[in-house]
Amino acid sequence: MKSVRRLPELLAPVVLVLATALLGLEVSSYLQAYFLDTLVKVAIVVALYLFIGNSGVLSFGHISFVALGAWTAGVLTVPERQKTIVMPGLTHFLLTATVGNVASLGLAAGVGLVAALVVGLPLMRLSGLAAGIATFAVLEIVNNVLNYDQSLGPAENAFSSVPSTTGIWQATIGALICIGLAFLYQRSRFGRMLRATREDSAAAAAAGISVHRQRLLAFALSGALAGLAGGLYIHLQPLQASNLSLELTFITLAMLVVGGSGSLLGAVVGALALNGLYSFFSAATNGVDVLGWQLTVPTGTAEIVVGVLMAVVLVLRPSGLTGGRELSLPRRRVVADLQKARAPT
Amino acid sequence: MTTLAVEGLSVRYGAVEAVRGLSLEVQAGEIVGLIGPNGAGKSSTLHAVMGTAPVSGGDVRHDGRSLVGRRPEDVARGGVALVPEGRRIFGELTVEENLRLGLAARRSRASGSGLARAYGLFPMLQEFRRRHAGALSGGQQQQLAIGRALVAEPDVLLLDEPSLGLAPKIVDVVFEALGRIRESGLAVLLVEQRAQRTVAFADRSYVLANGELRLTLGPDDASDTERLVAAYLA
Amino acid sequence: MTLAFLNLTWPTIANGLALGGVYALMAVGIGLVFGVLRLVNFAYGQLIMAGGFALAYGAQWGLPNWVSILFCFGVVLALSVLMDRLVFRPLRTHSPAVMLVATFAIAFLLQNVALLAFGAYGKSAGSLAELNAPWDIGGVEIKKIAVIAVATAVFCLAVLQLLLTRTPLGLHMRAAALDFRTARLLGVRANRVIAGAVLISGAFAAVAAVMLSATEIQVTYSFGLQDTILVLAGVVLGGLNRPIPATLGGFAIGFASGILGGVLPSNQSQYLPAFLFAAVIVVLLLRPNGLFTRATGAVERV
Repeated sequence: MKSVRRLPELLAPVVLVLATALLGLEVSSYLQAYFLDTLVKVAIVVALYLFIGNSGVLSFGHISFVALGAWTAGVLTVPERQKTIVMPGLTHFLLTATVGNVASLGLAAGVGLVAALVVGLPLMRLSGLAAGIATFAVLEIVNNVLNYDQSLGPAENAFSSVPSTTGIWQATIGALICIGLAFLYQRSRFGRMLRATREDSAAAAAAGISVHRQRLLAFALSGALAGLAGGLYIHLQPLQASNLSLELTFITLAMLVVGGSGSLLGAVVGALALNGLYSFFSAATNGVDVLGWQLTVPTGTAEIVVGVLMAVVLVLRPSGLTGGRELSLPRRRVVADLQKARAPT
Repeated sequence: MTTLAVEGLSVRYGAVEAVRGLSLEVQAGEIVGLIGPNGAGKSSTLHAVMGTAPVSGGDVRHDGRSLVGRRPEDVARGGVALVPEGRRIFGELTVEENLRLGLAARRSRASGSGLARAYGLFPMLQEFRRRHAGALSGGQQQQLAIGRALVAEPDVLLLDEPSLGLAPKIVDVVFEALGRIRESGLAVLLVEQRAQRTVAFADRSYVLANGELRLTLGPDDASDTERLVAAYLA
Repeated sequence: MTLAFLNLTWPTIANGLALGGVYALMAVGIGLVFGVLRLVNFAYGQLIMAGGFALAYGAQWGLPNWVSILFCFGVVLALSVLMDRLVFRPLRTHSPAVMLVATFAIAFLLQNVALLAFGAYGKSAGSLAELNAPWDIGGVEIKKIAVIAVATAVFCLAVLQLLLTRTPLGLHMRAAALDFRTARLLGVRANRVIAGAVLISGAFAAVAAVMLSATEIQVTYSFGLQDTILVLAGVVLGGLNRPIPATLGGFAIGFASGILGGVLPSNQSQYLPAFLFAAVIVVLLLRPNGLFTRATGAVERV
């Protein structure tokens, strides 16, 4: 039985997402696109958090699972007639197979899961810098292949003719699924075991926790969620391989770090806040009305704002806006003090 | 003027207080021992002098000038040298390179004399000067660590458990070298586990337990084991 | 003259050596800063990018080549120092993971500033393009820039080696890379050592920018990015915490990249990055401490 104390931990992110969704329903359809984009980003960042936040291992490769999920859902939902026109190089199986919207999302999550398992099996033995570089290599490999391979998708061209099925409700449900699963995971004993390895992997291993297995589990789960997010994403915008690589990796990582990589609330807060800012400044390139003042900024301002913000937060408050804490009552200070009492540098 | 003076020193790591209100002093030409059980705060005291431990109260003075808040390299350049616990020599550099590193803290321009001093005290070092320091035995590494500290011609020499892990014969060599160092007019603060030997050898020994000064002993007290044990366990 | 079993020709080998040389310099640049700061500078590529733009401006202003090159050095060194002051220094006490992400942020930021300032097409730095022309050496046509790059790399590495082994600063840097805390206790000035590493690292980035600009004439916001990514992979492959293996790793990946680029048929050469990164993963799995290091890896803080 979960103690009532823990409920705010789940409710806070859920409420934030619902508030965003409701707000998104009220605005014009031009602005709504930004809200949808934000909700999808929430899903991606929560997927990132599930692994990075609980394991303490940096992964630069999750966007490759987003890409694989996007490719899966995209290729399978383009109507067959269109496929032969826009993606003539597709393998026969992909050319003829077409599924419905929800099925495509499920398959996207499935592909993400399998890909993460395949990649994670060897890679989860690594840690620290080696894991970071290895996952980065995965990102580069997947990006390279998807960018040029015409038998899997549109290769260098943008996806087109993908039905735009991601509306406010679908995006919200997707984000909530990710949040719900992340919450269940971190409250489960698997999540607790993984967090033990984050604090002190040698001690955890000595206590009988299989570091490799727990990391793999989290990696696979987060890969599934990333795939799902990718499915949602492709049904929102005509994406290209270049949209799903280094830049997106950076932005989503920035959202996680700024929000606070140690907590689910941090992931959601970071995604909402940073994508809100990003959207605002992106919209401002075409001129936007701020309390009666007309504001127009040059293209690229949005990226710079996000970059500066991330750098500033890292220097001044590396634990992020939420300090890595969830919303719960009462707050637990013991671990932080114990860490301070350890030997100095 | 006192060469090295510690006044009411407190060292605190977060919520843990390692040293509480410690006062002691070391004059030029004397060896002062600092003994006590594990975790008593002996190492922390030395590190507080060098500026690598957080000082939460009190002062440390070298020739009247306060050292608290200064960077470790500046403390070293001011004439205070530390022979760290575990020796901490650079195994991948040669013996001579290790010694040359000690020159970083020297205050005079002449570089030749520094190394000569180390070679004079430990002739073995000259013989092995082109060898990688990691290939030396424990005792030789200890000699290297001490020699390296002396290369800068400091006023104050701090030693953190130099006899740790060494065979008795080598310990004799180390203590004999310390004796010669005392004669050259340095102020030496010696942290050690070997209580009896230190008490017998030093001009004066302080017993530290739980971060506090418990007792001051002279060489004549070396045979008074009861008093020693009582101080440790107090 | 062609080596029968592959499409391997002398010009291809020369290009491989040249790229290997440039990448070796970059590897040293990254490795030096890592050694003293335990920080992997993701933004190293942006130093090269800045150097490229400096050269482009030099060309635009009609400056003689050697002045452009000096200007390039000036810009890159200034940016290196700025990066150290604003980013590395305040972050020095934080965890290595935070430092990693921070340099990632700086890299991203600088790229977008360049995109904003110079647009997607960037600027042309054509002043050294003439070096792409080949020399006739014993009947084989080798690009001038290939020879110059190899010679420059060898020269720079030799000078650095002399600095590290024969000068006090070099000794201090080596000691700091092994055990910074003890080095400071001996009187080694932390700030000097770090400044030295940052400046040398910057200088090598400037050299790399000059070499790369001869073959990649159009300088865009992503100038040097792909190269940096490959070099990082190479450095980790070679063994991040040891200088010689790291350099060898950088050279190896540059050499492999140059050779494979010339040897693979064009419809496969676009997958070159995938091949190289797959190799990186394989090596990381087999020898996580690096290809060229001995079994006992030194401690890395991440």
